[in-house]
Amino acid sequence: MQHIASRVLDRELKKGSAELLVLSLVEDQPRHGYDLSKLIESRSDGVLTFRVASLYPLLYRLEKRGWIQGRWIEKAGQRRRRYYRLTAAGAQVLASQRNTWKEFVEAINRIAGVEHA
Amino acid sequence: MPEWPRRLSEEIRQHLDDEYDALRARGLSHDDAMRRLAGDLDELASMRARRIDAAALDLRYAARTLRKNLGFTLVVMLTLALGIGATTAVFTVVDGVLLRPYAYPDMNRIVTLMETTRRGQIISVAWPNFQDWRAQNEVFEHLGIYRGMVMNLTGGEQPERIVGSLASSEVFKALGLDAIVGRAFTPQEDDPSVPRVAVLSERLWRSHFGGDPAAIGRAITLNDEPYTIVGVMPDGMRFPTRTTDVWLPLGLFVRTFPPDRGAHPGLLAVAKLKPGVSVERASADMDAIARRLEQQNPISNTDHTVLLTPYADEIVQNIRPALVTLACAVAFVLLIVCANLANLMLARADGRHRELAIREALGASRWRIVQQLLTEAVLIAIGGGALGALLAWWAVAMFVASRPTSIPRIDRIAVDGRVLVFTAIVSIATGVAFGLAPALRASSIDLLTSLRDAARGSPGGGRRLRALLVVGEIALALVLLVGAGLTIRSFAALAALDLGFDPARVVTMRVSAPNARYPDPARWIAFHREILARVSGIPGVEAAGLNSATPLEGGGSESEVRYEGQPAPRSVSEEATACLFQATTPEYFRAMGIVFVRGRAFTPHDDAAAAPVAIVEEALARKFFAAADPIGKRIAFEFTGGHSAAARPVWREVVGVVRHVRHYGLVREPDNLEVYVPLEQLPIWFRDRRPTMTLFVRTPLEPQQLAASIRRAVSTVDPQIPVFSVLTMNEYVGQATEQPRLNMALLGAFGALALALASVGIYGVLSYLVGRRTQEIGIRLALGATRADVLRLIVGHGMALAAAGIAIGLFGAWAIARLLGALLYGVSPHDPATFAAIAALVAAVAFAASYLPGRRAARVDPMLALRAE
Repeated sequence: MQHIASRVLDRELKKGSAELLVLSLVEDQPRHGYDLSKLIESRSDGVLTFRVASLYPLLYRLEKRGWIQGRWIEKAGQRRRRYYRLTAAGAQVLASQRNTWKEFVEAINRIAGVEHA
Repeated sequence: MPEWPRRLSEEIRQHLDDEYDALRARGLSHDDAMRRLAGDLDELASMRARRIDAAALDLRYAARTLRKNLGFTLVVMLTLALGIGATTAVFTVVDGVLLRPYAYPDMNRIVTLMETTRRGQIISVAWPNFQDWRAQNEVFEHLGIYRGMVMNLTGGEQPERIVGSLASSEVFKALGLDAIVGRAFTPQEDDPSVPRVAVLSERLWRSHFGGDPAAIGRAITLNDEPYTIVGVMPDGMRFPTRTTDVWLPLGLFVRTFPPDRGAHPGLLAVAKLKPGVSVERASADMDAIARRLEQQNPISNTDHTVLLTPYADEIVQNIRPALVTLACAVAFVLLIVCANLANLMLARADGRHRELAIREALGASRWRIVQQLLTEAVLIAIGGGALGALLAWWAVAMFVASRPTSIPRIDRIAVDGRVLVFTAIVSIATGVAFGLAPALRASSIDLLTSLRDAARGSPGGGRRLRALLVVGEIALALVLLVGAGLTIRSFAALAALDLGFDPARVVTMRVSAPNARYPDPARWIAFHREILARVSGIPGVEAAGLNSATPLEGGGSESEVRYEGQPAPRSVSEEATACLFQATTPEYFRAMGIVFVRGRAFTPHDDAAAAPVAIVEEALARKFFAAADPIGKRIAFEFTGGHSAAARPVWREVVGVVRHVRHYGLVREPDNLEVYVPLEQLPIWFRDRRPTMTLFVRTPLEPQQLAASIRRAVSTVDPQIPVFSVLTMNEYVGQATEQPRLNMALLGAFGALALALASVGIYGVLSYLVGRRTQEIGIRLALGATRADVLRLIVGHGMALAAAGIAIGLFGAWAIARLLGALLYGVSPHDPATFAAIAALVAAVAFAASYLPGRRAARVDPMLALRAE
């Protein structure tokens, strides 16, 4: 089951829901890339993973569109890290994407729920 | 460099460090942790490439990419191996025959000279004319004269037949080669008082004297006479032919040259131009001399001039058109290979857009990505090239081993360092040729568009480029196929030629009894009579005959021929009819299956005591006697009293008329008409210069089986007489058709390869198209289009490409077919039937290649296609 789910999610990710995930995770607080990848992995119980080569271009793309903003932050005894936070434009996009996603999941549920009943 | 790549790489480095630390914290070893990170590192390879040695990394990355797509890699490498292998093989031959330097210094100043009529008929040089050439010319540094001859070499275990030449001292000077041991001939040896001396080839010196310098001064027995060896020429001296093994001084023969300007005793001249003198200027100078001689000697020299040919051209003139054609053909094949692979690479690059886009995002510049893709293409091309070189090495070895007689300098043909350098250059150029366009295109895709479209495939912009490549492929393939078609038709015309004899089950061999051993013509004739008697007694011999010329071998002795009552000509060349006269034995016609049109064959009664008789070919009978019965009429080709107006003909009565026999090869047919006379009534021209006789034996057995018993029969008559050139008549036919057969086979193979590649090209483009347009096709079907409509749509697209390619190809073939003219026999280079047939063939193959993807498109399920989005 997990195998199928991961395949479905994988495809959805390619179609843009990765954006939704990133935007959601930086909604509450700024996070850096490694943090984001670990969160996605742990919160999805390992179903979703992000390869380095996909994650950072995605962050770059989101920042270029103005949906998130990155800033270098240095902490004592650590290397500087780039933290991303949600911009106002990003918040709007997130809201709209959440809506779309919700409708999609509900639609799926309506169909799948009948079948399971 | 913009700031963002540095930023990205810093972030990624940190990410990897963090991940590494986390893995170590979980207790993994360094190696295990690195292994876990390997996947990420792979994808990041190009980013590191910026910092580490980029080229080495590209190579490693390319090698890994190619390994991962092993099927694709193999297909591409094999295609390349065929293209580069064919190119290398053809280059090896072209290089060996045309390009390699000759052993002679200043080769471009060496020319050969022949006396010709102004109508272009080639005759050998009259001795008095040559002396005037030498005295009057101002253009030559050296002017030598020579004549090829074959000799019996005896004194060893078995008599041998070797090729030699008489040569004046100036021949060696003109060629510019020195003896490696001893000396070449001196001007004193051009004088009749010269002792019997000989110069050997390096080959003969090594095989018979073990390369011992002490051979100088020793004797060698040629044609039963002893000659003192004075020198050995280096291996590079292959003059006048590549098999020449011994040279004898001019002086020994000067007394046998008729002092008559009308006599042309087989002499030819070779010269070295003075520095700065062009062939044209030398030709003009010699023509002026010829005109002076013409005025002074109208009877013998009217219409005679001198033909100068650069020696290098003379060696290769017969083979050059075929080699140039093959070189063009193979270049076409290679271009088609490139177009095909470019198409394949484009399709593959489409599948890699996402990978490339990510790498670009990670900081790889466009140039880096082009470089990376080119590295892949060149790497694969070098692999294909290596395979191709192996293929070429094998093909060339097979080719040389087949001992083609029509290829000069065959021993210089080999795949060596020089050829491999060529192959390497071609391979790299090929890689760039088929890799560049796809690389440029793939790298120009915008990152964001690409990431968004990744799931759908590539943008459609490459479609036009791919269509163009396919059109080009079809056009090139069509040009090649037209060439192949023309050579096939030409070969068919050659094969259908009437030879005038039946070559099946006839074995032939040469028997040469020299004058020195048989000075008396009657004894010489008796020797041959005895051979025939013995050979005819061998079980399995159906008929055996001797003849002084061998059909298809290139002629024999020629003379003017007249009929009784014909007015005497004013000059030798005016109105003269030339004949190829042959001394033959009664059974020759039966042995060769030569058909009698009228009259009878010779009988043993046609001997020296009987009235002189002759058998002529049909064309001669028609020319001389028109509709009248030629039997009983008289002709003459022998004249007593030289070539003057006072010459008295020796009349012979025509007793038979036979069909024409091809003597000069299949294609060449000079005007010489054939005349046969009994060997027992030896023509006067043969009294002093005996021909080498050929024995023809017809047998119901395997012809080669008989060869040994025939050899034994000859050696029981005279063990000092060598028997050589044992060949069946079918082998002569094979030699005569060798070059056209080679042309046909090679052009045919290249054409077939081209057609296969072009059809794969069409198929590939249409399959890609169908893949890209599945959704559109689904909509069409949903909106009511029938499957036949869809099939028509796709096949129509393929046929549109084919039509464009065929049109361009026909135009191109028409334009360059003239180049093929020299290779063709019995078919015009613009033969409409061939053009039409090839166009139809290409169209049919294109249709088949379009039909498969078309059928797949027609089977699309509209619902699935629509839902797929």
